[in-house]
Order: sequence, then C-alpha cells, then structure tokens
Amino acid sequence: MTRDELNAYKLVKEAQEAQLSGVTRRHFLKESAMGLGALAMGSLLGSCGNLFSSPQTKIAYDPAHPLLPKSPPFVGKAKSVIYLHMAGAPSQLELFDFKPELMKMDGQDCPPSLLAGKQFAFITGVPKMLGPQASFAKYGQSAALVSENLPHFSTMVDDVSFLKAVKTDQFNHAPAQLLVHTGTPRLGRPSIGSWVTYGLGTENQNLPGYVVLTSGGSFPDAGKSVWGSGFLPSVYQGVQCRSEGDPVLFIKDPDGMNRDLRKASIQAINEANEQQYQEYNDPEILSRIAQYEMAYRMQISAPEVMNINDEPAYIHEMYGTQPGKACFANNVLLARKLVEKGVRYVQLFDWGWDAHGDSPSNSLNIGLKNKCRSIDKPITALLLDLKQRGLLEETLVVWGGEFGRTPMMENRNGAQNPFKGRDHHTEAFTMWMAGGGIKKGFTHGETDEIGYSAVSGKVDAFDIQATILNQLGFNHEQFTYPFQGRPFRLTDVGGKVIHEIIA
Amino acid sequence: MLEFFGRFHPVLVHLPIGILLIACLFLLLILIPKFANLRPAITALLFLGMISAIGSCITGYFLANSGDYEGKMVSNHQWMGIGVAVLSVLLLFIHKYAKADSRMPTVTSVLLLVLVSVTGHLGGSLTHGADYLTAPLKEGGGKAGAAIPPIPNVQEALVYKDAIQPLLKNRCYSCHGSEKQKGKLRLDLEAYILKGGEEGHTIVKGKAEESELIRRLLLPGSNDKHMPPKEKPQLSQDEIALLHWWINNGAGFNEKVKGLKQPDNIKAVLAALEKGTAGTIANKLADVPEKEVDPANEKYIKSLNNAGVMIVPVAQSSNYLTANFINAHSTADSVMKALKSVKDQLAWLKLEHKSVNDQTLKSIKDCSSLVRLSLNNTKVTDKGLESLKNMDQLQYLSLVGTKVTAKGLKQLSKLKSLKSLYLYQTNIQRSDWGALKKAFPKVTLDSGNYRVSTLLKDTTEVKATPAG
Repeated sequence: MTRDELNAYKLVKEAQEAQLSGVTRRHFLKESAMGLGALAMGSLLGSCGNLFSSPQTKIAYDPAHPLLPKSPPFVGKAKSVIYLHMAGAPSQLELFDFKPELMKMDGQDCPPSLLAGKQFAFITGVPKMLGPQASFAKYGQSAALVSENLPHFSTMVDDVSFLKAVKTDQFNHAPAQLLVHTGTPRLGRPSIGSWVTYGLGTENQNLPGYVVLTSGGSFPDAGKSVWGSGFLPSVYQGVQCRSEGDPVLFIKDPDGMNRDLRKASIQAINEANEQQYQEYNDPEILSRIAQYEMAYRMQISAPEVMNINDEPAYIHEMYGTQPGKACFANNVLLARKLVEKGVRYVQLFDWGWDAHGDSPSNSLNIGLKNKCRSIDKPITALLLDLKQRGLLEETLVVWGGEFGRTPMMENRNGAQNPFKGRDHHTEAFTMWMAGGGIKKGFTHGETDEIGYSAVSGKVDAFDIQATILNQLGFNHEQFTYPFQGRPFRLTDVGGKVIHEIIA
Repeated sequence: MLEFFGRFHPVLVHLPIGILLIACLFLLLILIPKFANLRPAITALLFLGMISAIGSCITGYFLANSGDYEGKMVSNHQWMGIGVAVLSVLLLFIHKYAKADSRMPTVTSVLLLVLVSVTGHLGGSLTHGADYLTAPLKEGGGKAGAAIPPIPNVQEALVYKDAIQPLLKNRCYSCHGSEKQKGKLRLDLEAYILKGGEEGHTIVKGKAEESELIRRLLLPGSNDKHMPPKEKPQLSQDEIALLHWWINNGAGFNEKVKGLKQPDNIKAVLAALEKGTAGTIANKLADVPEKEVDPANEKYIKSLNNAGVMIVPVAQSSNYLTANFINAHSTADSVMKALKSVKDQLAWLKLEHKSVNDQTLKSIKDCSSLVRLSLNNTKVTDKGLESLKNMDQLQYLSLVGTKVTAKGLKQLSKLKSLKSLYLYQTNIQRSDWGALKKAFPKVTLDSGNYRVSTLLKDTTEVKATPAG
C-alpha cells in the first residue's frame, strides 16, 4: 500500500467511524419505533386477551389417556347423566299438559289464528281441534297433573321438575333430534355426551364413558350422528351397546382364541402402532393404542356389567324387564348399572312415539297407550332405584322428546286420519328432569289454555343443554373447542341456564 | 312533538363528544411541529362540534321536559351540557383570533376535554343507572344476584321495607327513581308508588292481576312492554311471587310479614329469604368445605393413580379432591397410606372396593374434610363406623349393602353436618327404624327397598278395536 493509499484508507475509516459515533441508541429506537412498538403491542394484547374474549374452560386433553377423569371448572352437583329420549315425540297433551278448554273445542274447526303463518309436517287446510285423549288427576304434594297413561310415574312427581314450555324450531324428527343432542339441526357437531366425556373423562377406565342404548325397534331418525363426536376426537363418540345377546358385538374371543393369544396379538398391534407414532407423531395413534387397551379390558368387565340377569328377581319386577328381549325396560335397568359402575353419560332412545293417527300403533288411544305402558314402570323404577342407592343426588335424569304434538287432530293431505292422532308441534311441549341438583316437585313454564303455545317459562334445546352442563360443573359459554379457526360450543350462541329448576 | 325531537338526544350527543374530543386533541397535537399541518382542520372541527353541541342542548332540553327525568343529576347534566356548548363557541373564537404563540387555545381545549368527559359520564349514568360503570368492579362482577339481601327472622320483618323496597331498589329505581321517571313512574317513595305512572293503576290494592306492575313483569321477554327491559337483570319467579303476594294483601307499607296470610308458595319464598338463597345465581360451594386448603402433594396423587385410584380435584377452581376406587387394584396399606396423606384435601370418596373392611376405614379416620362418602357393597360393619365419628363435614353417607345395624349407626348421631344416610340392604331391623329416626332428627334416612307393583295394564296391550 502506498502512502497516499494508506492516507485515503485512514480518512475513509475515520469518516465512517465519525458517522457511526453519531448513530446513538436514540437513532436505533427512533428508526425501529414502529417495529418495536408492534412487538410490544403484540405481547401486551396477548397478555390481556381476556379483554376481548370471554375466558375459556381449559381441558387437559391427553391423547394417550383420553378418558381419564378430569375436573370441571366449578363444582358440579351431578357426576353422571341418564338421558331418556322418546324418539318420535310423545304427546304432551296426553301425558302432562292437561287442557280442559281443549276438550270443549273438540271437533270444532281450528281457528285460523292458530294456522296463519305456521308450518306443519302434515296438517293442510283447516284441521279439527282434538280434546285430550286421556283423563288427568293431580298427584303428590306438588299437585302435578299426570294422565292415566302413567299410573306409576304419577307417584314420582315430587321428585322431578317439569318443564312445560319447551320450544323448538324444527318440525321434522331428524333435525329436531340433532338440535336437542348436538345443538344444531344439521349434521356434524358433537353430541352432549361427547362434550361431557371430553370435558370430564369417565370414572371407570374399563368401560366406555358414553354409552348409547336403543329400543323400540328402530334407531332415532337422525341416525347415529345423534351420538356422534363431530369435530371432537373420535374417542368421545357414543358407544352403542346392544341390550340383547352380547352387549358389544364380537366381545367374546372367537373359538380357538384363548386369552393369552388375544393379549399377545393386541400387544403386537400396539407395538406396530407405537412405531407409527414414533414416525408420524399423530396423537390420534395414541388414542388408537388406548382404545385397543380399553377394548381388551372391556372384554372382561363389559359382559359382567352389561349382564342384567344377575340382578335379583324383585329388581327385574320393579323395572318390568323382559329377559332376552331388546326393550326399554332392560335398557333402563342397564343404564342404572352403568351409572353405578362409573359411566359418565348414558343415552337411551326409545322409538315409536310418533302418534299421527295414521295406524293403530301410531294412535293416541292405542299405540301411545302401549308405549306409555312400556316406559311407565321402568322410569319409575329408575328414579326409585337410583334414590335407594344414593345415586340420584349425583345423577341427572332427563326425559323428553324432540318436539310436541298439536292440539289439532292431524288431517293428512286434507283428509281425516283413520285414528286419533296429532301432528308435530314446535311451539310447546313437556320435558322433565330429576336428580343431580334439580328441584324436587316443581313445575316451570305454562302453556295457553289449549296448549298451543308457551305463555311463561319458555325454554329451548340450548337452555336444556346449558342446564345439563351447568349441573356437571361447566359454564356452557366458556366450554369450547377450537375448530376451523374459531371456538365452537354446544349451545352455539344461545342457551340460558334454567335457574328456576335448580335446587 | 317536542318530545319526539327530545328522543334524538341520546343519538345526537355522540357527535359533539366525538367531534369536540378530536378538535381538542388536534389543538394539543399542533404544539408538536410534526403535526402542525393539522391546523387547518381544527376550525372546521370546532365549528361542527359547536353546532352539534348546541343541537344536543336543545334536544336534551326537550327530553328533560318530557317528564321522564327529574332531580339533581339531570340539572347538573343540563348545565354542564350548556357549558360545553358555550365553551366550544368560545374556543372557536379563541382559536381563530388568538396570537400564534398564545397559550389560550391549549388551556381552553384541556378545559373542554374535561367538561365533555364529565358531561358524557353524567349522561351515561342517567341512561344506564348511576352504578353502571363501576358495577363490574364490585363483588359479584355486577352480574344479577339476589335482589333482596337475606332477612334474618323473616316473620318479624316489615314486608315493604325489608323485602319489597330492596327489590324495587335493585331492579326498578334506575329507571323509575329520583333521577329518571320512565313513563312518569317513580317507585322510590310510597306516595309515588300509589300514584302510578302515566297509564295509571300501576298498583291496584288487593288485585295483583289488575296491577300494571305485575302485568308488565309477566309479559313475555320478547314483548316491548315487558319489564325490566330484556337487557337488564330480570326478576326471578320468587321475586315476582313476592310482589304479587304483597299487592294482593293490600300493598301496605307498614305490615309485618307475619301479619299477612301466607300461602304455601310464599312460605317457601320467605324461607329462602331467611336463608339468603332466594334468587341467588352463583354456584354455591356447599359441596366442599368452605375453608380453603393448599393443593395436595402431587407425589401422593401419582402413587394413588398408579394403584388404579381415580383421584382429581372436585373442580378446577378447588384444591379439594374426589377419589373413586372403582378401578383400584387393591386397598393395600401402601395405597391407604397415600390416601391418608391427602386427608385434608379429600372431600368426596367412593370407597366401593370389595376388599374394604373395618380395618380399611381406620386409615380414613382423620379425613376431616370428607363431605361425601360411599361405602356401598363393602364388608364394613358397626365396628368400622367408629372411624367415621369425627367427620364433622360429612353430609352424605351411603352404606348400601353393608352389614351395619341401628346400634352401630347411633355412634354417628353426633355428626353435625350429616344430611342424608342411605341404608338400603343393611342389617337394620324393621323395628329399629323408629328409634333411628329419633336419633337422626335432621337427617334424611333412606331405607330403600322400594317396590313398583305390577298392574294388569303393565303386562297387557291395548288392541285395536275394529271400526270404532
């Protein structure tokens, strides 16, 4: 390097250093004000996220042990639920909602004010009014009205809370059932039982947490989606058990397969799954391993718990069971056994309540009466049996259909139906709840003098769902699951806990 | 007609608030050279703000004269509103004619800022009630709770002063009180209550159904005339029943509770008032002891889990534990020892394992926080019950399917919290029940053994009758 070059180099370096010494921390902060500010803003907003959204319930989901018991956000009165769904929608006017005024109007043309702007499933033109097809009396200290169709249940009115003004906006079976159980009339959302087992797990690790039992010869119209897990992990869907023969299909080891061999094969499958998990890290694989292990344990415990035959004879008589048959009474007895063994949510469906009057079995004077006879003893026995085992306090029992039935007689296609029957009705119907911290001997809600619409105490499916979750220790507005970029909840944007019926 | 214009006030007031705030803000910002270019906007903003402030004053005056409002807060709001309008006119002139280096515009704009804020707050308080802003900070988060505070010795209390007045105060005064009289109705003083609102017969003595007050409360929530308006806290059924009862009994202001006839439904409401449980919405924690505890040691929880015992907190908000032995591998000493280590936290216990006997119960002897205990279908006998004698928190005890007798149970008669005792399928003799009920006067004893008789109808079916 020549002398000149060296001087030039020194000068340039000096100039650069002089310039750099002028750049202070202030410059840095000033130049990057926006960027740093945004960073700070982000962390500030992140830490006060609660300002903008309501607090959400935290659920510790462990894919390897998805059904371990978990704590609800606050102390719940109920630990388990038995939901008795009368699929087809029983007539409130022949069971609980006595309307003497309607009797006076029997046979008259329906006033146009009741038809204007309304949609019915089958009624067309002007139908005739139809008086109550059963006699009523007051029972118990609460003086609740119950019809002659439920002579046994009428002795239990002081243990239940009636909801006399339940309303829905769906007048077809499948959407209405989906609304009741999944919070939407369309397919794809998780059912209440799935939400509950997702949030609470289950106490007995050898049995499913959510069991579904059906009777009446048919599945509910909404199909198996009505106990589906929707976007929740699939392990939370209802496990349908049969009330006849093996409770779960293929639960017995096949001939020639002994227990050790079975164990060895499940171990081998699980090892293979384990390798898959190491490779892909998909938590659903862990769930699958857990399910295989549970299935193996269930092979021992399920046949024992699901077998109602070892119950004493007087219990069978109490429930009115029919050994060896698939019937509601057997399912109800089984439901009690399951809850006793720590199952979280037992869902029963009994099909055949759709009393349109188009056939004898669908009529108010024949079919409905027979359906009532098939549930009257079992539901009475269930409440008493849970009570004597100290379980009613922690078990919430819910009874109801998906909608009600019209005070008008159905006139399908404008012609009178051959039997006495009523069409689907969305404006008002009756449900009841018992146990699990619900008031005893109480009636909430009232319908007008012909039972057409609710006058006071109106509730809907969301309100009932909110109440069930509340009794289990959840705030339905905070119990959410993230899906498709937003938190979802069972009650969507509706639902108000029915505090009036909570003890 | 004037009232119609008056009703635009709540909409119009937002304009001066917004416009004047931004004008004042700009006036302050132009002190910084970088923002000097905002200056031309200020005159226009001040002008618009002034016009809207004057408009608000005029409409506000009409609204105040509609008869729905009265009292000190209204007059304060009125004069401060006029103050805002005057000050904004002043500021416009100061801004236009003051010298460039004068501090006058700055000082005046700060003054106007304060005045606008205070006036706006007063207006908000008039519309939403004086405690609207601060309610969420108070205990209970300002959510609907009991409107009537608990009344000890309810029969001796005054119906109006102790029950009706607090209810009206918490649910009605904000719109029908000294500050505001929607529909010309005031409910804060006796004379005004009887006078009623513009539709009259607010209260018809002795005839609750004809009283507008009750009619409005009972209208469906979707009806515009329903009271309270649907976004405000609603009255519970018990509270409506109480008002109904008071009016039906003459709506007097000096009667004692015991002086009025009490139908069954009112008796229940009154009892709830005495306990302080009427209309409360909060979930009470009566299911676990009220005393707070420290969280249990994770080590013991883990060792219990490993032994197949399901043990978790009763709630995320609680350190108390619930344990279930349904999947427990055994009740060996090591397991019971771990359980003993969480004795302070253990509130609910289902110890229904086939190996449980009197000896096992000895290890839960010191679990003084237990509220619920199930020992169904275990080998427990009278001797084992001795271990439960000191469980002062125990409310619920289930001994279904055990060998206990009446004699053994009497050891437990001193348990002060006990509420229910389940004794189905035990060795209690039929003749012992009378004495047992005497020993446990406050406890619900469930003997079980219920039967549902079989009627002819239960086993037969209705058949279709041909042509009928």
